[in-house]
Amino acid sequence: MSGPVPLTTDHPGQVASATPPAPGRSRRLSDRWLAVAFISPALLLLLAMSVFPLLWALYLSFTDYSATRGGSAHFVWFENYTAILTSAQVHLRALTTLIYVVGAVALQTVLGFAIAYLISRRTHGRGLLTTLFLVPMMLSQVVVGLFWKFMLDAQFGVINSMLGSLGLGQVEWLTRQQTALISLIVVDTWQWTPFIMLIALAGLTAVPKYLYEAASIDRASEWFRFRTITLPLVWPLLLIAVLFRAIEAFRLFDLVYILTSGGPGVSTETLSFHVYKVAFLGFNTGTASAYGILMVLIVIVLTQLYLRYLNKLKED
Amino acid sequence: MRYPKRIGRLSVPGRKVQLATAAMLVATTVAACGGQDDGAKASAPKAPATIPELTKDPLTLSFIWFDWPPAHALEDFANAEYTKQRSNVTIKVNTVPNANWHDAMFTQFAAHKTDFDIPILDSQHIGEAVTNGNILDITDFVKQNIDVKAYNPYLLAAYGQYPQAETGKRDENASLYGLPLLGDTWTMIYRKDLIGDKPPQTWDEMISVAAKCQADNPGVSGLAFHQANGSDAAAVTYNTVNGVYGGNLWDSKTRKIDGVMNDAAGQEAMDVLVNKMKPLTAKGSGNWFIDEVNAAVAQGKACIAFNWIAASGGLLDPKQSTLGTTREQILDKLGFATLPSQKTNLVPLGGMGMHVSAYSPAANQAEALNFMKWFEQADIQKKWAAAGGVPARTDALESPEFLNAGPFNKVYADSVTRMRDMWNVPEYARLVDIENTNVNAALNGAKPPKDALDDIAKEQQGVLDSGNRKGGGGL
Repeated sequence: MSGPVPLTTDHPGQVASATPPAPGRSRRLSDRWLAVAFISPALLLLLAMSVFPLLWALYLSFTDYSATRGGSAHFVWFENYTAILTSAQVHLRALTTLIYVVGAVALQTVLGFAIAYLISRRTHGRGLLTTLFLVPMMLSQVVVGLFWKFMLDAQFGVINSMLGSLGLGQVEWLTRQQTALISLIVVDTWQWTPFIMLIALAGLTAVPKYLYEAASIDRASEWFRFRTITLPLVWPLLLIAVLFRAIEAFRLFDLVYILTSGGPGVSTETLSFHVYKVAFLGFNTGTASAYGILMVLIVIVLTQLYLRYLNKLKED
Repeated sequence: MRYPKRIGRLSVPGRKVQLATAAMLVATTVAACGGQDDGAKASAPKAPATIPELTKDPLTLSFIWFDWPPAHALEDFANAEYTKQRSNVTIKVNTVPNANWHDAMFTQFAAHKTDFDIPILDSQHIGEAVTNGNILDITDFVKQNIDVKAYNPYLLAAYGQYPQAETGKRDENASLYGLPLLGDTWTMIYRKDLIGDKPPQTWDEMISVAAKCQADNPGVSGLAFHQANGSDAAAVTYNTVNGVYGGNLWDSKTRKIDGVMNDAAGQEAMDVLVNKMKPLTAKGSGNWFIDEVNAAVAQGKACIAFNWIAASGGLLDPKQSTLGTTREQILDKLGFATLPSQKTNLVPLGGMGMHVSAYSPAANQAEALNFMKWFEQADIQKKWAAAGGVPARTDALESPEFLNAGPFNKVYADSVTRMRDMWNVPEYARLVDIENTNVNAALNGAKPPKDALDDIAKEQQGVLDSGNRKGGGGL
């Protein structure tokens, strides 16, 4: 006599695989194979479009291959990597990128959180305000770059026109070393602050109301409530938004291409812009591949460190 | 009976999937590695001496150029005129932004598959395209089909010959890979109402006239010229001043740049450009190129400007100008002249040639050769001149159709014997980028002029000398 069949299990997948196939289904088509069949199109696409190009770039990074010069690729092993890591040109671009990432992401985080905090305190029109703030994020970077280029034009731009009407002098926003990088940061901040705002707003609305009520009963000040309730609860979510933005900012290309072309001189050339020049001006495909792989590695390592910090924060 | 779940080992289907994936990756990688040998033979394939039989089926002959008025003029002109002879053919001139022009052509060349049949290359791109085998060698075709004596030899050489010709000459034994499509050079555009009818004759005089004009006319800058760090903008400006002040870009025989470009004449040219000319330009003009210079002229904001002739047509359009409501009124205020001379009278060679993609279908290559033969005929060149183009044949350059088509056309005709080109070598794209970024840095105060010039010479020399370098090329 067989025992009763359990209704629940800790391993539903195993129960499913132990169940005999439905009548009419081929014996060969087990659930496992069906699962494989269903995910294989997506898997193949991923392999063809992401994994293979990455492996191919990794292979090319150890060679002197050029896409236009043709010929067979000769192994130069780590020479591309050594040249990149010891190049003063690359160090300069890395510094520019670092200043840009830190400047843009910090500004966006402060502004994004501040806007989200103010919106979260409103009871009326919150949806409309949020939607309006999100508009810049929905625009193409090229379009944003083009209209900011007109707005920042020293001669005909609306920004200088406004400064002029206030009695201030003309500023060469895009053609001076001191202002060109700041202009890029400002434009990026204009476009991407809403992203941080959106994530922060999600975090702020999820903070349980009873915590604030308890704090009010204890006559806690506004600042005390913000510091001990709001910020600690929103902080992990905000850090994830910062991570996304930092990765995005690290690979900035479009705005530089449209607004400054890396100028004046090379003072706003980011790492991505430099990779583009190495890859497409001289068609040094091997070097460009190594450059790209190094950038991916940097992002992976920094992300891992960041995620560990984030996990530690959650555990605490 | 249920077995406990195995840990650390995949089930059989899982392992099979992983093995299959790994095998596929290895196979694809091997296949891709094998595919690379295709490009091992890097030399330009030859076009037939005679034009093969042309198709009677509908055919689209595609060009690629950057987006500017001559590109649209060419499409209109060719569709109106060429189709009279070849009614089954449609001409399509694909355009890309100027900054993407080189990339758009050479990324397709790299793929060994082009969506264009006739790439319109800058004269300095020829070396890169020939060395990589991207365009056809048309030497035999030219011998059979083109009247080479009808051209100024240097114009023919500049848009087709490789290795590069010496300035002002043509090597008749060298191979040809293209034919002239559009001639061009800089014109000096000056405000007759502000500085008088007679244009300055020397570069120094031009600077002093511009300075006086700027001082006398608040809100109008003395000069307007290309300073941007994209394309070849700032580089052409420096090269022009370098030539006028007796400098050289390189010694082509010894491939020496360092010590040549930054010699005393080169330093003087950089000093003139940064310390004498730049202060006479509008604030924030450090990223100006063709359109911005034209806008400044059209809005009456510059006393003297320099621009490519082929891009100057819009200046006479009353709809785009604040200088007058009719073409005549605008011409009362604007004058066009050849560049002033100083120690030499050199002017920059602009314009482009047409070439045949090595990766086009045979029928399209045949049609492209037929188009080139048709286009280089005397009467067609005159019609092209009347349609707004700048021809290269001497008879067309001297024809009333050309000289009367625009006030700047005589400037071009007078400049032909004064032209000098940059380097036509496979490394051109990198050389010009180095020069552009450094001249742009000097013009915008990001680098002292002497340092900028020395950096250009040193970095460009590094590019030319890096032929045997194993890794890190392109940095």
